[in-house]
Amino acid sequence: MKRIVLCLFFATLLVLTAYSASAQQYITLGVPTSLKLIEGYEGHKAAQLAVEEINARGGVKVGAEKRLLKIEALDIRDGEPGVPTSEALLGIEKLILDKKIYATVVGNFRSEALLAAMDIFSKYKVINIGTIAMTPKFQEKVLSDKEKYKYSFRSCLDSRYLAGYMQNMMKHVSSQFGYKKVFIATQDVLWATATGSMMEKWFKDNGWTVAGFDKYPVGASDFSAGLMKAKSAGAEVILPIFDMPTSGILVKQWKSMKIPALMAGFISPLMGTKAWKTFGEDIDGLMNVVFEIGYFPIKAYPPSVKFSEAYMKRWKEDIQSGHGAAPAYDAVYVLVNAIEKAGSLDSDKVVKAIEETDMVGVVGRVKFDNGHQLIFGDDPKTAAVGAVFQWQKGTMAVVWPNSIASAKIAKPSWMK
Amino acid sequence: MIVYSMLIYGLINSAILALMALGFNLAFGISGVANFAYGAIYIVGGFITWTLISTLNIPYAISAISAIIIMGVFGALIYKFIIKRIRGLVMSEVIATFGISIVLLELLRYVGLIGFKYSLPVFIEGSVEILGAFVDIQRLLIIGLMVLIIIALYLFTHYTKTGLAFRGIAQEEHTSLSLGINPDRIASLSMGIGSALGTFAAIVILPLGTITVDSGYDVLISALSVCIVGGLGSTFGVIIASFIIGYAQTITAMYLAPHWTMLVSLLAILIILAVKPSGLLGHQKELEERV
Repeated sequence: MKRIVLCLFFATLLVLTAYSASAQQYITLGVPTSLKLIEGYEGHKAAQLAVEEINARGGVKVGAEKRLLKIEALDIRDGEPGVPTSEALLGIEKLILDKKIYATVVGNFRSEALLAAMDIFSKYKVINIGTIAMTPKFQEKVLSDKEKYKYSFRSCLDSRYLAGYMQNMMKHVSSQFGYKKVFIATQDVLWATATGSMMEKWFKDNGWTVAGFDKYPVGASDFSAGLMKAKSAGAEVILPIFDMPTSGILVKQWKSMKIPALMAGFISPLMGTKAWKTFGEDIDGLMNVVFEIGYFPIKAYPPSVKFSEAYMKRWKEDIQSGHGAAPAYDAVYVLVNAIEKAGSLDSDKVVKAIEETDMVGVVGRVKFDNGHQLIFGDDPKTAAVGAVFQWQKGTMAVVWPNSIASAKIAKPSWMK
Repeated sequence: MIVYSMLIYGLINSAILALMALGFNLAFGISGVANFAYGAIYIVGGFITWTLISTLNIPYAISAISAIIIMGVFGALIYKFIIKRIRGLVMSEVIATFGISIVLLELLRYVGLIGFKYSLPVFIEGSVEILGAFVDIQRLLIIGLMVLIIIALYLFTHYTKTGLAFRGIAQEEHTSLSLGINPDRIASLSMGIGSALGTFAAIVILPLGTITVDSGYDVLISALSVCIVGGLGSTFGVIIASFIIGYAQTITAMYLAPHWTMLVSLLAILIILAVKPSGLLGHQKELEERV
């Protein structure tokens, strides 16, 4: 009996030792984000896909050994209304301490949470490559104390790049049709009204007439008043800036009321293939600004085709958000390439390697500026790229930039 | 032309508000219970319809009727198992129904009712031009269905035995009891019909937008404000208040700014409470106030 107990004891010890040894083989990446919101949900899945691909080829080469990756996700809910920033920060700290994570990807939704979290990443020397929050204050904070905040990077676009893309879209519209009169409609939340105001100033500075600027409360489901105003004011273009689920109705009403103006801007719920399944021809003709390419196949840029097909194969669904997922996938590869280049898991060495990153990503060429912000441009061969697509008979036809465009802007049928 | 557009869309907005409020008003007028779960019932009703159509591929009409019956029974059960035990304790009724509302809505949020894909199809596609303004047919249907519901409610409460019992309970519960009318049965029935009306409103209105958890709270506020302004329990008052608030919202959106529309109903509540707390046509309550 004694012998049996002893055997069992040693067997248990062996199993535990083996388990602990194998656990040490993993490099753990954290995904602290709002997992129930579409960008967080898809960002997590995109990062998981990258991890599985890397593990399938044997893992990450750290010096002489190969290590596998694994992901620990935590729903910090900072993108949901009413959740205090402190709660999100506690979640990140818990993830770092409990799960012993090496680095984080995806990260915060809200900019104030991201800015506060940068101190936590510095405290624990945890590398973070964020893919959602968009404030330009991020770069300012990195540059304010480069040594302290060097662990924070961002592989998605920021709000300044977004405004630039919107301006390019309007220049493109103007060059094709000669339009110079716009009506702005935004959701009544800070980021959208700020972007709208920035665009209003740009329009006025560039010879456009702003026929009106309406702000709609979150949850609004009737946009008829604004559309009537736009029509009576003779607006040629309507610039919508929305991310609430009900904003698709704006486009439905635009069509049913036959408003004679192009609809060109940003409506988050109409970014993916499910939008066409839900709204069908009602959204035909809408032009949407894509924050980062890669999440849907663009023939002119093969990495986007490869990624979107791989995502579809793994998760049996398309990516629906034009923001966050493709950068999350790239972020894992940026990190892995940097670890392999540094030949070590020493955070300081890996940070230096990330700063020197120059790789082909699914969002375009991946290079970071001095403030650790991914550099965006209009050609995926030279920089990461956002784009403008138009819903044309159920397809997302890229109309700008020219480097990847597959179609010209088409006016809606009732405008011809 | 913009004036015609305003008149048409103001009418549609008013019809939407009236449809939203009728179920809430009916339940309150008969049972005296302010059903704060009304907004949640509206959303759950829409979600059940969506589920039946989208995941079980059941035809639209059958899905809609099933959802109306399910939520009607649910409303009656809320009365039977929860409200009946606390009836008359106003604060307890409010807390209980609001608690049910939070449980239902947050449960939907928890299971992932997020995103625009939760949307009901319109009954008839397309739009028509009226006085120079294009209006989609679904919006016109809403006006027609609102009128039908009001006529049906009038006929029900004036020419059927159960409907007369409804009015009896609403006018004087104790006397009705002496005439053999069971107030609990009628109150339970009114909660059921109120919930069914809420679901009907959801099925008619939600095709214009999407089914979102947060709009459950918005619907409750809209229904409550229309009923307070019109006079709680007064169907005619609800209709008048719907038109006042509906047109005020449309005019505000048109001539001021859309983001002020959310203040219109709140402002209307404030004004009516200051000037005539019983609401525009809340005569019975007005007598109580004087006493």
